[in-house]
Amino acid sequence: MKTLLRNNNLKVFFFVLALAWLQTGMVFAQQIRAVATWPALADITRQIGKELVNVESLATGVEDPHGVPVKPSFVPRLNRADVLILIGLNDEHSWLPALLEVANNSKILPGRPGYIDCSLGISVLEVPNRLDRAEGDLHPNGNPHYLLDPVRAKIVAQNIATGLTRNFPQHQQAFDKNLKAYVAELDNWIVRWEKAAAPLRGVKFVEYHPEWAYLADRFGMKLVGSVELKPGIEPTPNHIVELVQQIKQEKAQLLIFGAQNPRLPQQIASETGIKVVRLYSGGGSQPETDTYIKWIDYTVRTLVQSVS
Amino acid sequence: MNIFSGRKFSNVFIFGLVLLLLAPRLSFAQASEMESLRALVKDMQQQLEKALNRIDQLEKEKANDSAKIGQVEKSIQAVQSAPSILNPAIGLVLDADIEKLGKAGGNFNFRSAELGLAAAVDPYARMYAFFTGSNQGFEVEEAAAITTSLPYNLTAKGGRFFADFGRFPKYHVHELPFVNQPLSIQRMVGGESQADGAEVNYLFPTPFFLRATFGGYNKIGADNEQVSNLTPRAASRFTYLGRLNTYFDLTDNQSIELGTSLAYTPSVRLPGDASGGDRILGGVDLTYRYQPLASTVYQGFTWGSEFYNNSQRFPFDVEVSDPDDPSIVTTQSVGKRRRSYGGYTYGELKLNKNWSTGFLFDYAPVVDNPSQRTLSYSPYVTWYLSEFNRLRFQYSYLNNNFSVDKAEKGNQFFVQWTTVIGAHTHGFLTR
Repeated sequence: MKTLLRNNNLKVFFFVLALAWLQTGMVFAQQIRAVATWPALADITRQIGKELVNVESLATGVEDPHGVPVKPSFVPRLNRADVLILIGLNDEHSWLPALLEVANNSKILPGRPGYIDCSLGISVLEVPNRLDRAEGDLHPNGNPHYLLDPVRAKIVAQNIATGLTRNFPQHQQAFDKNLKAYVAELDNWIVRWEKAAAPLRGVKFVEYHPEWAYLADRFGMKLVGSVELKPGIEPTPNHIVELVQQIKQEKAQLLIFGAQNPRLPQQIASETGIKVVRLYSGGGSQPETDTYIKWIDYTVRTLVQSVS
Repeated sequence: MNIFSGRKFSNVFIFGLVLLLLAPRLSFAQASEMESLRALVKDMQQQLEKALNRIDQLEKEKANDSAKIGQVEKSIQAVQSAPSILNPAIGLVLDADIEKLGKAGGNFNFRSAELGLAAAVDPYARMYAFFTGSNQGFEVEEAAAITTSLPYNLTAKGGRFFADFGRFPKYHVHELPFVNQPLSIQRMVGGESQADGAEVNYLFPTPFFLRATFGGYNKIGADNEQVSNLTPRAASRFTYLGRLNTYFDLTDNQSIELGTSLAYTPSVRLPGDASGGDRILGGVDLTYRYQPLASTVYQGFTWGSEFYNNSQRFPFDVEVSDPDDPSIVTTQSVGKRRRSYGGYTYGELKLNKNWSTGFLFDYAPVVDNPSQRTLSYSPYVTWYLSEFNRLRFQYSYLNNNFSVDKAEKGNQFFVQWTTVIGAHTHGFLTR
């Protein structure tokens, strides 16, 4: 052992190792550690923070928003995070609170500066008139799937910039500049999407779960019904029979589902001829949806192709 | 005044001539300027129309949004004006079943009604409590405060709570994937790991999940009657706990979780064993999960196992002959160390959003006589009508190698109904 300790090569090796470790720490220390709950939020954060921010998403985008597993592997990421960016409106209620409970990071607890709730200032749709579980698995403050509306996404970008500035005021100029550029880019895309989505105006559709209200609101689609009996409640056979009749009467053209089981949509399609489209409401589920803009573009294109 | 006279006339003449010469040029310039002005006005008109249309559209959107914001503000104001705004989250769980226990017969069993309360205390702590009423009476199952802002990745907890021993010992019974708590937990841990005491958790700053728990309690086990919660004791007669818990994602869809726990009581003195001795209760828990991310709500498989060992002295009556007169035999109580090993293993398959099925095998020794044991085999099916309404059907076969009450052996059937109102969560540890 003594011989080993006297070995100069070994000393140099450990010195270099320590130096390398310190340098790695310094590189990490320079970047803001951000954790977003969904890939689309992670991408918008990346656009605002650019090289100043290192962003990770907890969910991959393919999960059912109510079925994201409470993985302990998320805990170390939350433990080290400087900021947490989330959808809010109870979207993450089934999994995030349990993780925050053990993450030992008071910076990102609700109400703290690092807790960036992107729903602030969003004009929320489908706020329940009656808060009662007899109405299903309700979101008390309204439908949380507002990211599907690119106009509302501009508010999200603003919220993220505000949240990052609140925590790192020294970078305000950079965040403001990046926000301006991103909003301008979004504006350009919104004009394109509005043109491209013209065929969707007035299209009647059915959704599996209440996820598509904001997209429909933006592009003028009309909701006819839901596969679920109530939000989060699987349908009864009677409900399916009624829905099939409704689809036929209303001449609904599209049935949109995401992380749900395709069995029922396919069954309804075989009985009504309605076109079934699988789209995820969290972004990032596939390579062509790995940025917010690519995700919305893919969604609009897919829907337009489905009705044309 | 005569304008035609003299010099004045010549001036006027020259001015008129210049005017005549310039006039055609002026009219040409005016015409082209007019043209360009007309084009400009037309262009501006078009732009103005566009702008007015856009303003109209924006005003419509704004009115629409304002109406919606108004609606939200109204509902927020309604909530804020409610006097209960600072009340904790409240939930109630009802757990009841109908059961047939071997040859003992059937029974409607009101298992428990559990009232849960939880809220933040201040910026530094939160608190929760569970009060349970059942056939056995009313009890404060848990009431504990937990810090939220300690530095160095530490969390402290104090009060009455389920100690961080093993996996299922710290589950409330209605939260288990099967109807009854495995008999091995009941016999070796003493039921739910309820403890009056304090605990500190440390989250290691590692890239993977690694968490340690250290605790000190009066005792561990809701049904553990070896130690009283009411009598003060020496430091050697408290129970001390250490636990390490880690987790790894094998793939996006598969994970493995491993825990090891050790509860050490330096001195346990049971009636009849004056010398006492230490008690060591150890446990290892292993959980494998398959959760396909794209269909976690519809598919999944969990395999979970726990193994326990208990080592402690128990008093036994032995017959001792009088050294002077061997015909005189007296009964004396002496302490003997007994080591017992037990545990359970179960597998559960999620069939779809509403249905799952599983099988539990349990090996439960009697801790003061480990040669006596109960083996149980329990297939079960669970029907989730919703997240808050659950029916469970279970058959159990209990095989004992010693004499037990007829309700504790043979075939058992259960239909369990568990319903929840209000807010209900037992947090990360029982995820």
